[in-house]
Amino acid sequence: MAGSGSRGRSARLAVAVGGRVGVVPWWRTPTARRYLFGYTLLAPAVLYVSLLVGAPFLFSLYLAMSDATVGDPVAQFVGLENFRAALESTMFYVALRNTLVFTIGAGILKGLLGTTLAFLLLQPFTGRKVVRALLVIPFTLPIAISVLGWKWMFDSQFSVINWALSRLHLIGAWGSPDWPVWLGQPHLALASVMFVNVWRGFPFSAIVLLAGLTSVPPEVIDAAKVDGASFMQRFSKVIVPMIAPILFIGTAFDTVFTLSDLSIVYLLTNGGPDGATEILPTLAYNVGIRAGALGRGAAISLFLFPLLLPGMIVLLRTLRRRQD
Amino acid sequence: MSDSETAPTDHAPVSRRGFLGVTGAGVAGASLLDMLAARQAPAQLKGTSLRILTWSHFIPAYDAWLDDFAKKWGDQNGVRVRIDHIPHLELPARFASEFAAGAGHDLMQMNGQIFTGQYYRHLMDLTDTADTLEKKYGKWMESSKSAGQVQGRWYAIPDFYIAIPMLWRKDLFDSVGVSNPQTWEDFRKAARLLKPKGHPTGMQFSHCNDANHNWRALLYSFGAKETDPSGQNIELDSKETREALRFAKAMFDEGMTAEVFSWDDASDNRYLASGVACWIHDAISAFRTTEDTNPAVFKNTYMLPEAAGPGGLRWNVGEPVIWAAWKFSKNPQGAKDFVVAIVDAQKEAMLASRGYNMPFLRDHYKKPMPGLGNDAKLAVLQEQDKVTAFFGYPGPMSPPAQEVLTTFLIPDMFTRVARGGPIEDVMKLFIGEMRRVYAKHKTG
Amino acid sequence: MATAAVAVPRSHRAKETRRHALIYLGLAPFLIIAVFPIVWMAITALKQEPDLYRMDVVPFWFNLPPTWKNFDILFNRTFYKDWIVNTMVISVWVSAITLVTAVPAGYALARLRLPFAENLGIGIFLTYLVPAIILFIPLARVVSTLDLQDSWWALVVVYPTFTIPFCTWLLMGFFKTVPLEIEEAARVDGCGQLGALWRVVLPVSWPGLTTAVIFSFTLSMQDFLYSLAFVSISDQKPVPLGVATELIRGDVYFWGSLMAGALLVGVPVAILYNLFLDKFISGITGAAIK
Repeated sequence: MAGSGSRGRSARLAVAVGGRVGVVPWWRTPTARRYLFGYTLLAPAVLYVSLLVGAPFLFSLYLAMSDATVGDPVAQFVGLENFRAALESTMFYVALRNTLVFTIGAGILKGLLGTTLAFLLLQPFTGRKVVRALLVIPFTLPIAISVLGWKWMFDSQFSVINWALSRLHLIGAWGSPDWPVWLGQPHLALASVMFVNVWRGFPFSAIVLLAGLTSVPPEVIDAAKVDGASFMQRFSKVIVPMIAPILFIGTAFDTVFTLSDLSIVYLLTNGGPDGATEILPTLAYNVGIRAGALGRGAAISLFLFPLLLPGMIVLLRTLRRRQD
Repeated sequence: MSDSETAPTDHAPVSRRGFLGVTGAGVAGASLLDMLAARQAPAQLKGTSLRILTWSHFIPAYDAWLDDFAKKWGDQNGVRVRIDHIPHLELPARFASEFAAGAGHDLMQMNGQIFTGQYYRHLMDLTDTADTLEKKYGKWMESSKSAGQVQGRWYAIPDFYIAIPMLWRKDLFDSVGVSNPQTWEDFRKAARLLKPKGHPTGMQFSHCNDANHNWRALLYSFGAKETDPSGQNIELDSKETREALRFAKAMFDEGMTAEVFSWDDASDNRYLASGVACWIHDAISAFRTTEDTNPAVFKNTYMLPEAAGPGGLRWNVGEPVIWAAWKFSKNPQGAKDFVVAIVDAQKEAMLASRGYNMPFLRDHYKKPMPGLGNDAKLAVLQEQDKVTAFFGYPGPMSPPAQEVLTTFLIPDMFTRVARGGPIEDVMKLFIGEMRRVYAKHKTG
Repeated sequence: MATAAVAVPRSHRAKETRRHALIYLGLAPFLIIAVFPIVWMAITALKQEPDLYRMDVVPFWFNLPPTWKNFDILFNRTFYKDWIVNTMVISVWVSAITLVTAVPAGYALARLRLPFAENLGIGIFLTYLVPAIILFIPLARVVSTLDLQDSWWALVVVYPTFTIPFCTWLLMGFFKTVPLEIEEAARVDGCGQLGALWRVVLPVSWPGLTTAVIFSFTLSMQDFLYSLAFVSISDQKPVPLGVATELIRGDVYFWGSLMAGALLVGVPVAILYNLFLDKFISGITGAAIK
């Protein structure tokens, strides 16, 4: 706000110092009015989220540091015992490793596929609307049901994918060692659940990127073209910086959604076979809810939080600085 | 396929705040008995409502019967009954949320995953009901007590358990000369001979419910034990366990395909119904599905309560289904009465379940048992209680045993060995995890 | 310029055709991967059940005649009609709550340079790191305090917890692209800050608003755990919960009805998405040109 610049700054200084401003009481300055307006606008969202997420989050932190069970949620404080106990269990390490592989791998794939698709969709061509509608469906189908559809498509006996591949002589017949058991062979199982996550998620990445790409004013691109920039130069020096915020936010949200989502693994393999697809959310669910050890379950599911928190803060701050 | 169709659940539209809250607290046991004997609706129950949570039974006809039974009971007693069905694997989440909310159903069913030990401080003491039923119908099955009792008091009433027998194809077995399979060795031999002919067998090596029960059946039949009878000490590290693991690996190599690593609870049913499997180790629901979808295969499918291990032991690991009621239930009397009514109607229930439900009370085993006694193939199940154990055997179904169940330690142990892992290392790893689980429950 | 109009199209058309061909080629793998499962689900929805379990025939076509039976089961023997209504109504309410909270919040964060705003923004975002499997337990207490258990209103209260943070960020991004000059002009014309927001910024950001609504819809329809924990009455369930709990009975999966149930809900939303995507893109381009 150019107009209130200098006055605003001195008013802010006065507020920071805590002293009184000679000219106007600080609460009547435009800055203060702006703050009041701003915080009032923020209030509904902040209140809603703090009451319904913040407070339960604090409760879950408490759970993670107690020996609570489902039948006894007010239990004794045990400090970091649950986290230490988790680290002793081999199942936990397996779940941690799988979670990281899953999230990072799927994230990279979604980013790449989403970017490519967004570029393609940016071009005008006949049938674009129809194509867009079709491509968006994986994302709009309720996840519980679309995953069940994939379960059927990956079935070890009746898989339509295997049927097709086998008819094309790309794999062996049913019963031979060349018949992939998508959800049964260790690395294949993890790859399959990752694939379903990517299948659901790449339309989302594409849309977010499309939003970013279309917000790049064509004049800027034209100017770059006029300046003789090649496609790659245009892409990396002009477009990427402009869409970086949206790209980044989309990726960050998607990463966070993926990290806490247990539906895909739960419905396809429930972490099996032998932990090949076990991820932290499914382990936490099996320990915390199905076995009733609430405290330990909370510790498992919040385990990544202390790692992600500083990471996210740093990245978000960098993003802000880039914009200003 | 009439039986496999979804049984429409008939709910009277219920408004959120439409319940009357009359409770029938404090009815003395004696007067309850009198009233039951006289089959009159106790005055306290009239005008109340009862909310029941159960699982979605694998035999839809049973749910149709149950919903109808509940309605009739409700009409007879002036109680508005509502039954909600959810998949059994989702019951634990529902319990947790109802307990946290301090409100929910009056009566609920636990299936396979036993939470009596976790919630007993908040469950109604049902000892008087249990004693009443015992007086009426003979002794409770000894092994059922750990599902319902904590420190000698009953907090849950066992309703029925699910048997998981051997379902085998007589025509295929006859063709390779194994005409009367009785032992695990027999079944292994049959699979070895039939796999090259396109009829392998399969048992799940994955994270599913059936895997938990199948491999425990093998372990117990080989003489291995999960814990000692007190449930405090783990006794899985034994010669018998090693034998069972070796056997499982051999059986996998000879008689199964790699598909079994991706199987879920329904996969073996499909294997049998599609005509491929030479035998499976599965509940009667598979038998019924095959009956409905592949009569030719069904004609040749026979049942064995359980296969015997090398020492002659037979242990079938069943899934207990029990009733419990929250202390905060708004209709404790209604809950108790309904449980008694259901057990009173056990014979009808067994019939409606097409042989799936196995009772817990002695007298219900009098022959001929409904649904089983008159069926040539199912008649063998009338001795099922003699070979039935539950998870944690011979220890109780305690919270640590439950955690070992829900984290799939035993199926994983077998999976790793089947994949070629060295038995000693694998056992050390998984039994170590088991010890950790038990230790945490001791301190917790 | 008649001659020019005739001479140009030939090479232009060739170029266009080639361009189209390249684009279609590029899109083909995406389309196949995205659409093949949908087609498969649609075929399954119309198949008779025994037709699904045969390995000797082509699974892509109907070996037994197609049937409406699965749809019949869906509509007449389950509460699917109620589930669809519930899902749609829940999503509408959740979108409304989301807009009412996220629009002001997004604007405040985008424009007003408030101290601590950055941290607040980060904080709101971090709420996603707390997984639902832990949150649902204290939320159960909240739901029962509000006496909403077993009603879909419980979900209306709970779902905004995961739509508000994302939509706030989304709208913040959109508001930032609104040129400052428009707002300044409005304020010079005498609107207050609020007036500028209401009368100028919102209309221009309407593509962003619709995107936020679409995402609210999609996120609401994804949930399974919360609906499982808070709703058990059959006719109060939303579609994902209803379909997954009442069309699967242990070993019997009513595949046909399951797939039908999914498609009937997902496809209309996809179509709506597409309608709004168009407006959203033209809106953005329009704003940029202005």
